[in-house]
Amino acid sequence: MKLNESTQNVPVRITTIQIVAFVLLTILGVRLYYLQIVQGEYWSERAENQRVRFIPIPAPRGAILDRNGKILVDSRPTYNVVLSNEPLKKIDVTERIPEYSKGLNLEPDIVLERLNLIKKQNEFEMLVLKESATMQDIAWVESHSLEFPELRIELQPQRFYPHGTMLAHVVGYVGEISPKQLESEPYKSRGLRPGDIIGKGGLEQSYDEHLRGRPGYRKVIVDSRGRVQSEIEVVRPQSGQDLISTIDLDLQIAAEQQLANSPTKRGTIVAMDPNNGEIFALASAPSFDPNVFTQGSKTPEGRKQIAAYWQDEKRPLYNRAIQGNYPPGSTWKIPESMGALQQGVITVKNSNMACGGGITIGNKFTRCMGSHGSPPLSYAITKSCDGYYYRLGLKMKIEGLIQMIETFDFDKRSGIDIPNEKISQTPKSWKPAIEKREGRWSDIRTVYASIGQDTVVVTPISMLRAVSSIGVKGRMYVPHLMKEFKPIGAMGEEGTSGFFGERQGFTFDRPDPKMIPMTPEQEKVMVDGMWGVVQGGGTAGSIRIPGFDIAGKTGTAQVASLGKDVGAKKDHAWFVSFAPAYAPEISIIALIENVGFGGSFAAPAAKGVYQAYIAKKHPELLQALPESTAKPGEAVD
Amino acid sequence: MVAIIEKRDLRDFDWLTTVLAIAIACFGIWQIRNALPAESYWTKQIVGLGIALFAFFVVVFSDYRRIIELAPFFYAFGLLLLALVLTPLGVEVNGQQAWLKLPVIGQFQPSEFMKVPTVLMLARYFGKKRAGALTLREALVGGAIMAGPIGLIMLEPDAGQAITYFPILAAAFFLSGIKLRYVIGAMLLAAIMVPAAWMIGVKTGKIKKYQQERIMAVIDPESVDPRGFGYHTIQSIITVGKGGLSGIKGDTDTSQSVLKFLPEPQTDFIFAVTAENTGFIGCISLLLAYALLISRLVAGARESNDRAGMLVIMSFATAMAFQIFMNAGMALGFLPVIGVPLPLMSAGLSAILTTFIAMGFVVSIKLRRFVN
Repeated sequence: MKLNESTQNVPVRITTIQIVAFVLLTILGVRLYYLQIVQGEYWSERAENQRVRFIPIPAPRGAILDRNGKILVDSRPTYNVVLSNEPLKKIDVTERIPEYSKGLNLEPDIVLERLNLIKKQNEFEMLVLKESATMQDIAWVESHSLEFPELRIELQPQRFYPHGTMLAHVVGYVGEISPKQLESEPYKSRGLRPGDIIGKGGLEQSYDEHLRGRPGYRKVIVDSRGRVQSEIEVVRPQSGQDLISTIDLDLQIAAEQQLANSPTKRGTIVAMDPNNGEIFALASAPSFDPNVFTQGSKTPEGRKQIAAYWQDEKRPLYNRAIQGNYPPGSTWKIPESMGALQQGVITVKNSNMACGGGITIGNKFTRCMGSHGSPPLSYAITKSCDGYYYRLGLKMKIEGLIQMIETFDFDKRSGIDIPNEKISQTPKSWKPAIEKREGRWSDIRTVYASIGQDTVVVTPISMLRAVSSIGVKGRMYVPHLMKEFKPIGAMGEEGTSGFFGERQGFTFDRPDPKMIPMTPEQEKVMVDGMWGVVQGGGTAGSIRIPGFDIAGKTGTAQVASLGKDVGAKKDHAWFVSFAPAYAPEISIIALIENVGFGGSFAAPAAKGVYQAYIAKKHPELLQALPESTAKPGEAVD
Repeated sequence: MVAIIEKRDLRDFDWLTTVLAIAIACFGIWQIRNALPAESYWTKQIVGLGIALFAFFVVVFSDYRRIIELAPFFYAFGLLLLALVLTPLGVEVNGQQAWLKLPVIGQFQPSEFMKVPTVLMLARYFGKKRAGALTLREALVGGAIMAGPIGLIMLEPDAGQAITYFPILAAAFFLSGIKLRYVIGAMLLAAIMVPAAWMIGVKTGKIKKYQQERIMAVIDPESVDPRGFGYHTIQSIITVGKGGLSGIKGDTDTSQSVLKFLPEPQTDFIFAVTAENTGFIGCISLLLAYALLISRLVAGARESNDRAGMLVIMSFATAMAFQIFMNAGMALGFLPVIGVPLPLMSAGLSAILTTFIAMGFVVSIKLRRFVN
């Protein structure tokens, strides 16, 4: 040091400054050590988390086909406007509402709802804002990509129901999983996420797990505004499995046409193979368009239409075949007769019982529609003699009727493989309540119950199932709509995270039929009676098809209080049947609401479906027929 | 000029300091490229380094004593430029009117250059032979010299740049024999006044919301508005931490700066970029290089021929040390986010030119240590 100013300690002061500088640099070094060495992995992970995004690639759902491979439901690609979560975290989303609703032509409250939904879901990065985007929407999103980096266009498969209202109750529809469903089984344990599409109703719901594919994803790197910079990994989705249903589209079309041509256009027709429970056709009218649910749930028009479906007093969303409980009227006489034979109340040899034109219980006379003398069972069936059944019911007693109800499973669901099936309501379920209220079970209730009125309401499917068993030696099958699931091949490389194993094909796991005990003689007397209904001058003689014998039973169920016939409260028309009578291939039930006689309305509707069946399976019969015999004839009960 | 370079000059020329400064600047250019490989900041910085080196040699081979004599002219000229910044000739960037755009010369930051005349002015005033401790009169004159540039810079307003001037004055006072009791007294006063001023400022609203947030971001970056300063601090910490022991080794595609998570990576947050790309090893090497450079400066100050030369070198050394601390401290998330460049590293012609002019004085002073 050349400066000789030791009085001011300059060298010491210079050293002090140097020490201070070194201390400052040391502080930086210590902090670096802490951030990079001690906490390095943590920060590295945070950096990765903020730059890596998983963009799901939705998997196409499996198609639903009819038994001959015709498309009933499939998926078609649509462009959706999708919201990403990440860029929205840093902004006040309410500013976006007017912009989106103007640019994409959306209702502000729908935009708000979607924004709130995605804000709540921190872990999940995307949500559909608008489905089926138009070219204008796509152009708008692309041109605003700097302003709104959270918007993307994604090609996604959308469920499409080419047949519209036809089969709607069978196939159901799909929709976004609701917050409530997310929290509840069986969805919770399947690892579903908000925005996932699930089946709602029908086969879509029952077989959701197999129809739903396994979504893939794109692992991408995004910048701080959430814009995709590069792709690290793509895992291709695996489509869902195709479902071959038991439905025969031609028979379904015939059934739908019959309902559409009926006077009230309300009712249901179900056609089934009595030999195994496969359902060929299941129509319920009025119906709904499932496309409204899949495409319209985010548009005001669609929501209005959905609300209209729910509010419509004709109840189009309700599947009459499995959810409707109707008084069965005279169709009830078939299981009842079988029950009486089983219980020995009547025998094949001695089945005669008086008609009497009616019966007097106490001081009340309940009449029969005709005067049939003292007919045997088969004639009573053919003519639908009420008087016979009043007495048969009284002889069986209510306990006998309840035993028959249990035999034919009227106290249970049929077990059909679509959801929300209702259970029939019968004296078995009513008896305790009525005895409690009225002190006893009166004979008049037994009389009414013996002709399928008052305390008896059944679902059409349960009636079809019960009656079908009679033609096939008592084998009562579980009706079902699933025939087979097709296999789907493995996706991706085994051992990698993007590997989806092969999904095996399988057929319907058919439970053993419930055996209804009956002797061949008992079966014959029953079928003889039902044969007579169509071919033997019975109540459905008008639908006779030469060469194709139908065994059936009509029913005319009173809806208003007995004896009155007022306007809209007209009787429900029933016809339950199988054919060919002595070697059934197909059984059909038709129910038309509030139209009148079963023989006049329900039986011809069933005939329409039989004709479609004949055209398909026995075309030689049609060629043999002269044109004139095919026309609908005059009607009796 | 070459003609006047004598053999002795070459012998006494401080090659180590010069090479060290150039090496750090080259390392900086590499980091600027790492920050934004697709942008042209790093090529501009090469040009800047070339210009800076030219200025460096001009200063080295000028007689610093004569320049110190002329300090008042440079000082006055500097104040004029700072005043011009506030006129429509100034350019506003991010709410700060800190730039001057002149024809031919282009755009530059006078507050950066002004450090040189300010240091020279202080050295001229405090550089005379002295007998006793710092007097009140001297302190007032020193304060007045400093008040000019700081006042004008605060009008821009550029608080970060203004703060870098204080260590210069502190060094001048300290080396001019300020009594230790004043130093301790000032520290105690600061310890009381700073929190008190904070409380009063927040209560009266004199310290604005965004200014409060900058401070709060340091204390708890996660709690402050994630869009604001807390976001910058957090992103910088993530960037530094991610570097780990040895950095990302050139994988710039996923770097925090390329993906735009890290703001201003080529200037304010160049230290975070360095940390991400070269890791703990690279950063510690850089800090050691700075320590070595500062040591060389201090050694030069000790050997200086006169008080003025010693003061010039120590002022620059102190300013450099504090600037490194403030910039890196901000990148490491324990100091508030204020725009102070990292000496020799941050992109920017004004900054690198000023630093090399300062280095020029240092080398010039060392070169003339045997001259009398």
